[in-house]
Amino acid sequence: MTFGYHGRYLRIDVSSGLAEYVPLADALLRQFIGGSGLGVRILLDEGAAQVDPLAPAAPLVFAFSPLVGSPLTTSAKFAVVSKSPLTGRINDSLASSGFAVAGKRCGCDAIVIVGRATELSVLVIDEKTQARSKPNVRMESAEEYPGSTCQETERALRARLAADFRIASIGPAGERGVRYATISHDGRHAGRGGSGAVLGSKNIKAIAVRGSRYTEYAHQQKLTELSRSLSKRSFGPATAKYRELGTATNLLTFNRFGALPTRNFQSGSFDEAASLSPEQLSATRSKTRESCVTCTIGCEHIYSLGKTGVRVEYENLFALGSLCGIGDADSVLRASQRCDELGLDTISAGGTIAFAMECVEHGWLDEPWLKFGSRDALLRAIDLIGSRTGIGDLLAEGSRRAACVIGHNSISIAPQVKGLEIPGYEPRALQTMALGFAVGARGADHNRSGAYEVDFSDKVDRRHVTVDAVRHAIETEDRAALMDSLILCKFLRGVFEDFYGEAAEMLRSVTGWDATAEEMRETARRIVSAKREFNVLAGWTPAEDTLPERFLNSPLPNDPAASLSREHLNTLVAEYHRQRGW
Amino acid sequence: MHVEFYGVPRERAGTASLEVDANTLGELFGTLAARIPSLGEFICEDRLQSTLVANLNGDKFVSDPATPLDRNDCVLILSADAGG
Repeated sequence: MTFGYHGRYLRIDVSSGLAEYVPLADALLRQFIGGSGLGVRILLDEGAAQVDPLAPAAPLVFAFSPLVGSPLTTSAKFAVVSKSPLTGRINDSLASSGFAVAGKRCGCDAIVIVGRATELSVLVIDEKTQARSKPNVRMESAEEYPGSTCQETERALRARLAADFRIASIGPAGERGVRYATISHDGRHAGRGGSGAVLGSKNIKAIAVRGSRYTEYAHQQKLTELSRSLSKRSFGPATAKYRELGTATNLLTFNRFGALPTRNFQSGSFDEAASLSPEQLSATRSKTRESCVTCTIGCEHIYSLGKTGVRVEYENLFALGSLCGIGDADSVLRASQRCDELGLDTISAGGTIAFAMECVEHGWLDEPWLKFGSRDALLRAIDLIGSRTGIGDLLAEGSRRAACVIGHNSISIAPQVKGLEIPGYEPRALQTMALGFAVGARGADHNRSGAYEVDFSDKVDRRHVTVDAVRHAIETEDRAALMDSLILCKFLRGVFEDFYGEAAEMLRSVTGWDATAEEMRETARRIVSAKREFNVLAGWTPAEDTLPERFLNSPLPNDPAASLSREHLNTLVAEYHRQRGW
Repeated sequence: MHVEFYGVPRERAGTASLEVDANTLGELFGTLAARIPSLGEFICEDRLQSTLVANLNGDKFVSDPATPLDRNDCVLILSADAGG
């Protein structure tokens, strides 16, 4: 067996309770590594692309990696991979911390769940008490937990089972099939694309894992040296932003550049942005910092809200703040906390609500209370979505499906690509990112394409990008694919001088493979292509690689230079496909 | 000219903006390093370290120390990894 791996995945049919180990060949592991890459490969082999994502036969993969469990900083991560119920395309969402380490210690490189339990259940995988060859998997009733928040479920299950179990769970939104429901662990979320709805469709409220099977490393001393070096660099200036302020610091920067999506992308700047900035939040409330297991960066900034604390990220502030026209920090923090409790992706929740608010303005939707800038409307809409009550039932479908029901060509202002709501980067002001959004395999996505980095550099003119930008966009997409498969946190990206070379070195020390930088580049491209292969099998056509009409018809009102024509975007997309060899 | 700080540079500078006289980008960075020692770790002689970037008037990102500056210019200094 290869070092760093168990060489198998655990496949569980929750209809029957049957569990079996399925071997993973060394060659396949070397080609796809782990995390997103391994998850996509398993889905392809399981024939998932042609299956309804909410059908019992649809597989849901929790994929680990050879680096999980190692001392490499930020490596305690797992990928949740499935066909998305929001987009009908590939979805890979990552989350962090103890679930990754405990899951891998169950003696497998991935957990694959198929089927549908007869009642709401907890899936318990307890390797610690199992015989060597047979997986110890059982289903327990979750009758106490319907409607419980992710945090309540996690606390209750650890009290019921044992403190050394690690839990991934869904909230009420996942139980009710909200198409952008999350899977949560330890307050963090595999957030995008609706993996929580997939788990909910299987009648699984939570997965509890504990195990004792460690993998060995090929070159322990070298791995220790690499880990020390990486940790040391993670304390340096390249990660200062995340340590000192967190991603929330983007807010004022983006506002200054006219790139802060506001009122459903009707503007790129928000008059009340300062009141949501981390500088202002810090001045008016207490703040603590937290880290994931094995992480030395500590990017999580928890701001007080009454007697509780709320994890604040840029995407929450943008989606529940400026996008909905809300500048009151208490309201945005409360909305963010409510999304956490319900298990809702904040970007899709905010995007869909902001879309509905604009539909109300146009008179296309008869919900007069749902207004931009209304704190009460935002909180009410979130609760209605979480319970799929009233208008919430429609909004739980996401902006693309909602637009199809609302009509009036509202699809032209639905802020989505392939059905996934657009994150906090105004495409007209950041046009390399616009390309990244258009071609993204899982839809509009800032985690699978870091093309915004190119826009914030002297490599391009961000409002007038040319085909020269395409290779840069591809480079960020490839790098993200490799980081999501190794798996390492992207907040480390600034510390690498030679990312592919260092990635190869890490893999060599863990697995013993003679990996090279060039092999890592090829692997990254292979993983991106595998996602496309999945999408093609699921029905993808080139026409999907575009942006909503809003972005292609008119410049940003406050910045006439921020204009992107359909013809120009099509040129960029065609060049992207050409350079990919598709 | 006017200099605006965003994110970590603002934290270190202790101010959102200030006025500086400089004829080139390199001269500006040298002046900033001298006036605000806490920014020193991000400035290497007449250049920003790779973790920060500079933008001219919200339009163009600039790094060449010889870039000429006008007294009416506005230079923005921010973290290089703008997203996240």
